[in-house]
Amino acid sequence: MNPLRDAWQSIVRRDPLSTDKGKSELVFLNVWLHIHPAKVKKENLKVKHTFYLGFITFFLFLVLVTSGVALMFYYRPDAPQAYQDMKDLQFVVYLGSFLRNMHRWAAHGMVICVFLHMCRVFYTGSYKRPRQFNWVIGVVLFLLTLGLSFTGYLLPWDQLAFWAITVGTNIGSYAPLVGARIRELLLGGHTVGESALLRFYVLHVAVLPVLMTLLTMVHFWRVRKDGGLSRPVWKLKEEKSAQLVTIGAPVASAALAAVPASKDKTYGLMEVVTGKPIFETVSMEEEEDTVFSYPYAFFREGIALLVTVTTVMAVSLFWKAPLEELANPAKTPNPAKAPWYFLGLQELVSHSALLGGVIVPTLAVLALIAIPYIDSNPSRRPADRKWAIRAFTLFVVVNVVLIIVGTFFRGPGWAMVPPWVHITGAE
Amino acid sequence: MERRLPQFFFALSMIVLALMLGAIWQAASPAWKTYQQEFHRLEAVGEPNAAAKSDVLNAALVIKQDLLPGLQRVDRCTTCHLGVEDPTMKNAPQPFTFHANLAPHIPAKFGCTVCHGGQGLATDQQNAHGQVPFWQEPLLPREYIRASCGRCHKEGEVPGVPELADGRRLFETQGCRGCHKLNGVGGTIGPDLTEEGAIRRFPEWLERHFLDPNAVSRNSPMPNFHFTKEQARALTFYMLSLTSEQMGTYYSSVRLIPSASYGRELFVEKNCIACHSIGGVGAKNGPDLAQVAKQHSPGWLDEQLVNPQLIYPGSTMPAYDLETNARKAIITFMASATAEDAQSILSQRTKPLTPQDAAIEAGKQSFARFGCVGCHGLQLQGGVPNPNSQGGEVPSLLHASDDYTKEEVVKIIQNGKVPPVENTARPAAPLYMPPWKSVLTDEDIHRIADYLWSLQKKKDAW
Repeated sequence: MNPLRDAWQSIVRRDPLSTDKGKSELVFLNVWLHIHPAKVKKENLKVKHTFYLGFITFFLFLVLVTSGVALMFYYRPDAPQAYQDMKDLQFVVYLGSFLRNMHRWAAHGMVICVFLHMCRVFYTGSYKRPRQFNWVIGVVLFLLTLGLSFTGYLLPWDQLAFWAITVGTNIGSYAPLVGARIRELLLGGHTVGESALLRFYVLHVAVLPVLMTLLTMVHFWRVRKDGGLSRPVWKLKEEKSAQLVTIGAPVASAALAAVPASKDKTYGLMEVVTGKPIFETVSMEEEEDTVFSYPYAFFREGIALLVTVTTVMAVSLFWKAPLEELANPAKTPNPAKAPWYFLGLQELVSHSALLGGVIVPTLAVLALIAIPYIDSNPSRRPADRKWAIRAFTLFVVVNVVLIIVGTFFRGPGWAMVPPWVHITGAE
Repeated sequence: MERRLPQFFFALSMIVLALMLGAIWQAASPAWKTYQQEFHRLEAVGEPNAAAKSDVLNAALVIKQDLLPGLQRVDRCTTCHLGVEDPTMKNAPQPFTFHANLAPHIPAKFGCTVCHGGQGLATDQQNAHGQVPFWQEPLLPREYIRASCGRCHKEGEVPGVPELADGRRLFETQGCRGCHKLNGVGGTIGPDLTEEGAIRRFPEWLERHFLDPNAVSRNSPMPNFHFTKEQARALTFYMLSLTSEQMGTYYSSVRLIPSASYGRELFVEKNCIACHSIGGVGAKNGPDLAQVAKQHSPGWLDEQLVNPQLIYPGSTMPAYDLETNARKAIITFMASATAEDAQSILSQRTKPLTPQDAAIEAGKQSFARFGCVGCHGLQLQGGVPNPNSQGGEVPSLLHASDDYTKEEVVKIIQNGKVPPVENTARPAAPLYMPPWKSVLTDEDIHRIADYLWSLQKKKDAW
């Protein structure tokens, strides 16, 4: 026996490519080719159906993990060294400034893309049976994204970071009974200080990314199990849509019609488990409607990745991530603002702490999670769900307007100041 | 479309590659490298042979930094300012020019930014000179750099910087503390000045502000003190030196510079001439100090000042609690002191104050220091217009004892007083007596009352 050959075979695990078996095993044993099904529907790949927003969000996450790990080599989560490390990244570390810019802009981009992705999923009705739970996971992923961005916000330890987190955690403390406790647990004290910096760091680089990765895996797995990428099935021709079968689904939701049982084909555990699987969408479409994942899906995803990376890099080359003065608890900026994505919340809080800071956002998140269970309308056709679309659009518009007001229209003392008015004497 | 996908993919890959190269180029060609190369060329000119020339030209380009934990900073200024300690670069252009008169403040121990301001960590001109948003200490203009001496040398005279001591004197005598807090003592009407030298260091603004507060900050409640240009400059220097920044022991040990002039001040203050003579002039209870200074080393003199009993058990000389630099200053003065010095000290000597007089003197100083003079006048004559108060002006204090008991006056100083109005239909009088409880101790307030009564006594005698 040749031990070297043994070792090689233990790694590649296939026969030589000169054999037919080896050639087929090249595909069968390749993990990358098995993230996707062998074939995907042509329709699914169209840009205008999904805008690849889910992919882009995921790729931004990859950019963030990569640049984040690189930044970790240069960062000490201790005050005030953390701030000096920021300065070192800016002035001394090779590519340090560029890395930090990428991390910052990709983070903002991810918050935006994950929100747009959620909008897209809502407007195409893609959260409906059998994908209800994946929507819930999606909402949790959205909250995790906000959490990652928020915990990362503190790490530069400058005035911007310090006061944004002070304001942000103050909003959280308005919750009755538990609010102050949660804030104390999060900060490791009553004010933002060194222990808060360490806690935020651990959450930012360990806890939240791990949760994010696990849930992302489940999210992707569910997408694949529930029939792949979303597409507007209501646009398919009558005869095609007649071939779409939802097996095991309650009769009420069988709006897409059923086909004769003889053409039935499932991916259930046949011969082992009796009975029909629940929520298993099976396509009975013709061969010509599908294409091989490689190269068609792969190249498209690759292009989405490259477009994402190109955009982040280009932005990072020309726009610097902000860095203000060293955090100074004695010097409160006026107004002190939370990170931009919480400014809608801060705007609400400025009107009523309990109602705006706790009740409304809690209800909003619960409502988001409950959407697929409240919405009993089985149709995904926009014309059939006008009220759902109107309600969600209202939600989106209110959010965006509140954030814009909080970001651009609030001056010293949280007074209404249009962005084109310059206040003299304000620092 | 399908066929063009790989081409599209390839094109995008090229763009990513180009951006990556762009980032690398941006990171690999910082301005400081250009400066270092230029400096190497300058150095090479002076080299005798070709081998040495090429050695200098090919020297590694590195960031130079002075780690200054005692000053809580890292200064990278010498990355570009390469000729700072090289006298041959006297006539070299900036940023390579030699820094004359640097010793003993060498960059290795002091860095640059503690005196000059700017951002020590930065490695490009704009950031390093601090002329960027979010950096509070931009480079000080040339004529104000000397003000930074006061950041470490917080007491006494700094040779060559009379402005600092002048500014401090003005601050303590013009009643600035009446409105401004400094190191926890003072009023709250104006901003706290404890960190004035560490934040917002805009000397020109400060100087214009002292000449006319309203010219630079409209509706400032600060009155125009009609300072001269020199006084405004001195106050600006003093402001620029104010910082509560903790300096390491090495730096804070030289709070005051042991100059002969400060030694003379101490000599007068401690009343040495009461026992000693200099060059035969003065009292003869102790040895003549000009002789002593000649006979003994500074180290011996220092020990003698710390504990006279150690060298001469049974000596009648008391052990004065003097800090290192104060002792050094006295010794420096002794080395240069002459009989004429002793003569002038003797002639200026005033009688020692009785405890009662000392209390009155302290009251008088507090009166000036906390801004009472601003309204009541240096001669306590009052007279500052105060529309719609009874009498229409701030009352004179010369007749305080006619209308009040001492205890009543103490109460008024403690709790403040709103002047009664002349006409209730018109707005209340703009000036009022603020409460001083939180600023002054009870002892201070009683002394101020003593001071007022002391003036009263003189009048009665007349």
